[in-house]
Amino acid sequence: MGDTRLVGQNYTTPDLHAKVTGRSKYAEDFRVDGMLFAKLLLSPFPHARVRSVDTSAAEAMPGVRAILRASELPEPADTVTDLGETIRANPLSERALTDEPVYAGEPVLAVAAVDEETAAAAIEAIRIDFEPLEFVVDPLVSLRPGGPNPREQGNSWGRPAGNPTGPLVVQRLEWSEADWSEYAEGRLPAGTPQAQWSYGDVEAGFAAATLVLDETFSTPNTQHHVLEPRSALAYWRDGKLYMHAGTQSAVQTVASIARWMRLDVSEVVLLTEYTGGGFGSRATGAVIYTIPALLARKTNAPVMMRITREEEQYIGGIRPGVHGRVKAGFASDGRLVALDVFTLGENHAYEAQGDAISSGRIISLLYQPQAMRFRGATVLTNTPPRRAQSQPGGLQGVMLMEPVMSKAARQLGIDQVEIRRINAPAGKAKFGPPAGNGELQYSTSSFMREALARGSEMFDWETRKARSGQRQGSKVRGAGVAVSSFVGGSVGFDGLFVIRPDGRMYVQSGVGNLGTESYSDVHRVAAEMMGMPWEKVAIIWGDTSQHLPWTCVSGGSQTTHAMSRAAHAAASDAIAKAKEIAARTLGGNAASYRVANERVSDGTRTMTLAEVARRAIALGGKYDGHELPTNINRVTTVAASALAGRGLMGVARDDYGRDGGTFSFVAGFAEVEVDVETGQYQVLDYMAVGDSGTIIHPRAYGGQVLGRGVLGMGHALAQKTVYDQHYGLPVATRLYQSRPPTILDVPRNMKWEAVNLPDPETPVGARGIGEAPVGAGASAILNALAAALGDDVIRRAPATLDNLLMALEHGRPMQEPLTAHI
Amino acid sequence: MSNDDAPTTRSGPTSLGRRTFIKGVIAGGVAVSSAAYLFRQSPTLSGQTARAGGVERLVTLNVNGQDRRVDVAPQETMATTLRYKLGLTGTKLGCDRAECGACTVLVDGVPRYSCSVLTHTVRSSDITTIEGLAAPDGTLHPVQQGVIEEQGFQCAYCMSGFIMSAVGFLRQNPNPTREELAHGVSGNLCRCQDYDKILTALHRGAELSREVARG
Amino acid sequence: MATIHDVIAPFQLFQPTNLDDALDLLDEHGEAAMVIAGGMDSLDWLKDRLRQPQVVVELSQVSELRGIREVDGGLEIGAMTTLTEVAEHPAVIDRFKILSDAAALVASPQIRNQGTLGGNISQDTRCTYYRRGWACYRAGGNTCYADTPTAINREHAILEASRCVAVNPSDTAPALIALDAEMVIRRGGRERVVEADDYFVGPDTDIRHLNVLEPRDLLTTIRIPATWAGARFYFEKVRDRMVWDFPLVNVASAVRESGGRIVDARVVVGAVAARPLRLRAVERAVTGQALDEATAERAGEIAIRGNRPLRYNGYKVPLMRNLVRRAVRGGMGASNA
Ligand SMILES: Cc1cc2nc3c(=O)[nH]c(=O)nc-3n(C[C@H](O)[C@H](O)[C@H](O)COP(=O)(O)OP(=O)(O)OC[C@H]3O[C@@H](n4cnc5c(N)ncnc54)[C@H](O)[C@@H]3O)c2cc1C
Ligand code: FES
Ligand code: FES
Repeated sequence: MGDTRLVGQNYTTPDLHAKVTGRSKYAEDFRVDGMLFAKLLLSPFPHARVRSVDTSAAEAMPGVRAILRASELPEPADTVTDLGETIRANPLSERALTDEPVYAGEPVLAVAAVDEETAAAAIEAIRIDFEPLEFVVDPLVSLRPGGPNPREQGNSWGRPAGNPTGPLVVQRLEWSEADWSEYAEGRLPAGTPQAQWSYGDVEAGFAAATLVLDETFSTPNTQHHVLEPRSALAYWRDGKLYMHAGTQSAVQTVASIARWMRLDVSEVVLLTEYTGGGFGSRATGAVIYTIPALLARKTNAPVMMRITREEEQYIGGIRPGVHGRVKAGFASDGRLVALDVFTLGENHAYEAQGDAISSGRIISLLYQPQAMRFRGATVLTNTPPRRAQSQPGGLQGVMLMEPVMSKAARQLGIDQVEIRRINAPAGKAKFGPPAGNGELQYSTSSFMREALARGSEMFDWETRKARSGQRQGSKVRGAGVAVSSFVGGSVGFDGLFVIRPDGRMYVQSGVGNLGTESYSDVHRVAAEMMGMPWEKVAIIWGDTSQHLPWTCVSGGSQTTHAMSRAAHAAASDAIAKAKEIAARTLGGNAASYRVANERVSDGTRTMTLAEVARRAIALGGKYDGHELPTNINRVTTVAASALAGRGLMGVARDDYGRDGGTFSFVAGFAEVEVDVETGQYQVLDYMAVGDSGTIIHPRAYGGQVLGRGVLGMGHALAQKTVYDQHYGLPVATRLYQSRPPTILDVPRNMKWEAVNLPDPETPVGARGIGEAPVGAGASAILNALAAALGDDVIRRAPATLDNLLMALEHGRPMQEPLTAHI
Repeated sequence: MSNDDAPTTRSGPTSLGRRTFIKGVIAGGVAVSSAAYLFRQSPTLSGQTARAGGVERLVTLNVNGQDRRVDVAPQETMATTLRYKLGLTGTKLGCDRAECGACTVLVDGVPRYSCSVLTHTVRSSDITTIEGLAAPDGTLHPVQQGVIEEQGFQCAYCMSGFIMSAVGFLRQNPNPTREELAHGVSGNLCRCQDYDKILTALHRGAELSREVARG
Repeated sequence: MATIHDVIAPFQLFQPTNLDDALDLLDEHGEAAMVIAGGMDSLDWLKDRLRQPQVVVELSQVSELRGIREVDGGLEIGAMTTLTEVAEHPAVIDRFKILSDAAALVASPQIRNQGTLGGNISQDTRCTYYRRGWACYRAGGNTCYADTPTAINREHAILEASRCVAVNPSDTAPALIALDAEMVIRRGGRERVVEADDYFVGPDTDIRHLNVLEPRDLLTTIRIPATWAGARFYFEKVRDRMVWDFPLVNVASAVRESGGRIVDARVVVGAVAARPLRLRAVERAVTGQALDEATAERAGEIAIRGNRPLRYNGYKVPLMRNLVRRAVRGGMGASNA
């Protein structure tokens, strides 16, 4: 891009003043006259069927207005995709309420009353009789011959033998006795998989390898713990449903709510200026939002559903824990010549979350094995919903592979940075699974090696490496490096803005505002191209009645890439129109005009963009949005039509080409100090270098590189879910029991850096950075611990002090690597 | 610096109908809402016996320098009173159990978790919330200004709590190191895990506070 | 009947402004009354609706219960003094450092600004089964859910368990025992003084309670005698996260030495049993011995005698041993303040 006045600069985002003064309003901050309160009755059983419910005492209580049962929920609707494809509703999918709860804490019914005190008393007055059903909270227990099922139909999604192309159904997956032979030694059985692929000659690779390792590792189930619980307020006015609720995509959540409620998208207005965290758990809102909506309809009054932290722990989402068995063959120079990966993912008893299966792709890209086989399975359990969490599947892939890379480097006598450099993806790097034609896919670009080089220099890797493993008193230090990668963007969304006769640019942003600031950052691209000073740019966001265009979900690091392209497309459209208007108004050739400094000019003849806006309205047609491109999404067409006639419209779909899949990369470096007498350790230092193309907003970028890094560190330090297997009930239901990292658990002075080389396959050069830092944070710490204490001490994450101390005490790993939720 | 009337900022639903429908609750001095919200309203406000130690429900709270009369249930927490009775929703509830800090306010200048304080225990105290930090003319508190300058925080659900903790901590320790400041605000959890940028922003706030103090 | 959490059920609230009124109220309401100090433990029970008292007596307005007075080289600390006040008080830091160290490592700044010393030593256990309302021994039932083959008992007892395997989670309790503190308890017009070590009880004495307080009792003062002022102190707390988390194990010690020999010692370990354990055998064994590595080693071994770990808390054995070694050795101070 020519003029970089805005892109690459720090600035004050439009939402910040309201945030620091406490005026920013999240869903539960709204109050409406006559508002009722909803409370939930949660299942006390991991799996049960409601036999009978007696609500008479509750209903007789003064102030109780309505009780909502699962039977009153609309039937799940089919989804029609963007491309017109119909996806049949899954009869076993998660819903807001259920009469067959499949995990402890699942909402069964809801009460609306004039105040929460009354609603709570009403819940206590409800007589409810459950028939307890068979349950299981550990996937490996379920897979055993004759093991328990989480659902009456079985424990996994698959296609029945007789109908290999039909819809997925829940069926029984079981591994034979023979598969368990190495279980006692802590090795993951590799029974029948559900998915598999391979490329290259894996067996030949192992045969030729100098070193072959066979390692089992387990990643933790971790709750998202968004700080704002998924509370929501709903009311109906003039036949429309108004919802105040948090989301990762304003625009796409309207479609979800409409589908859950069986409404048309035009009947739903979502108000969502601020959302207190998502991390994947609020991709398109949350199905629980239908409860206040239905209660509001039933009571003809606004209904606030305040979700408590404990409820959030149940319904908010969990990243699936994945067990992995990795067999890796290395040449003497450290090159990974053959790789055989088996993953087993844990799931709730609803739709399958794909992490275990998708982890193979990131492993393949990140470590570039010459030959690879991947197999995986996902098993349902009676535990809360698994949802995508920052770097879904990627984090687990990184956490399974990194200990193997570290151990190989140590055994081969190769530097840790070097072994990762040797195996790093570069440029258009290939990865599996192979496509239908047998060809491998490839990335748009990768500068992983540059990131490693920058990082090791800035981190002073050599010095820290030299003191790794040295003991002083009871303290031992260790330095670790880890690489990580994830998808860095999607394509095909729309940009929309209008420059009005007042000379200002009004940008319609459908991005959810999670504070990553992408809802505003990406539009700096368009503003800069239009030569608009930022003070004259208004971002319209967070209210779907305000004509917002079709937008990606802010998840999977899509937004920066997808929406900067869309912004670029819309600006290119407006520039072309402005030039035409100038030529038509002032004479000359449109091609000789340039847009800059709020003007369009050919050097001698000049119009301000305010004048262009006025002319656009006069000319009508495509210039002011009365004629629209045909390739934009229906949502955008509706939005743009409503804005037609207000000025010069920039509206376009991102139709730019892209050769390859978009991925971002991070190299993370950590130093730890372990007290070998207590097992307690401290992360002394952390730094991370990102490779995600051009940086649009450095401060927001740094916040992501380190912030998501710390999110990852939680997986190494102490964060986990805990269940008593016998009862199938959670014993960590509170933040202080599930232990997300505090400010004192991470270094006080972390550093970040960016390679900052543009991605060649996107016009702005920028990719997203929301995911790749996570795995780097988690594994850099685990690798640093291994450098201090030796390989094999840590066989599952988090690496809590009890396990470290026991291994040190006994001189061998003491963990149960494969028991779930301990 | 941006302010709310700048064209780049738009707040709240725009249709006028809804705007009047939805309560504008933040402005100081607005009459206390009569709605019961979370707790039942007392049957008779003055009906309680004034025997030794028994509490009256109708109390006066000093919040952000103003005396506010409010009907408080015995079991009501300060966070509830602030958010639901006084409309001060800048104080957030993240856990309601003293485990996250989102609800932190100052009670006589000391940071406390308002979710875990019975409102009746602070009847005779000065309470400061995030809404009370800026000067009446809108000039931000230096800690708020530090956050603006460094683009601290992401989703900001934790932000009010962190800022209140920092302001309380800086009263006692105006010139902290980064390490000391981290300890000072350690009772606040950020799930966007933006700790590094938060510390930078709050540390800048400390610096600005000292500049203001020097005049 | 279904259960629900996070809405406090109504109660009658009393906020006495002086000690006599407080005692009268407790006397009058007896078992029906719940005492709230800082509320950091008690509000939890109310929010979970597991305790629905008719009457709550809240002590924040009783100024007589607050503050630190110097008496004969020792201290008298009002039960309602906050943990922050204890941690920052110059006399505590100067003469009884383990107490300020312990108080400073509790929970988080805001909790310390509100939680009281009296409440901290009187708090209930954090056994997750018990606190979720399961009908265990401690809750009046007839089983222990934390002591089964599948139970999650990483944070439970390795010593002195008797049916119940819960531990006392207080950080300040071991420090107070090591300082030979005394608890002053009032009931109506009567006052009794209990040695810190006797204030805490194990399940074989009372399986329902962690301390000797009974309905109508008010803990008014914690007295610290001059005995250990300025001794060689050691306090360390080991926990998962550096904020909020309760101790997995903590240790407090006070040692008097002369010419390289230990003249007298107190060694107390917390979170390994239902009460903080004063390790008298260790104290006896080290007294008269050289203050050196060998003595520390031996102390560690003696400390863990009789341990009976559960499935997930075996690490507490070496942890306790190592912490006791350090406590006897002294020197390093708190690992993280
Ligand atoms: C998230 C969290 C983390 C925590 N982490 C720690 C930690 O790491 N270490 C630690 O030691 N503690 C920790 N605590 C506990 C907290 O410090 C204590 O709960 C607190 O100190 C209790 O004191 P309080 O004044 O709030 O007492 P309250 O909760 O009000 O009272 C506790 C109990 O003592 C009784 N009581 C209190 N004072 C008196 C009195 N004067 N006379 C008679 N009875 C009385 C009450 O009736 C009640 O049963 C944590 C608490 C929370 C919520
Ligand atoms: S809401 Fe009060 S500490 Fe979390
Ligand atoms: S910025 Fe989101 S929780 Fe802190």
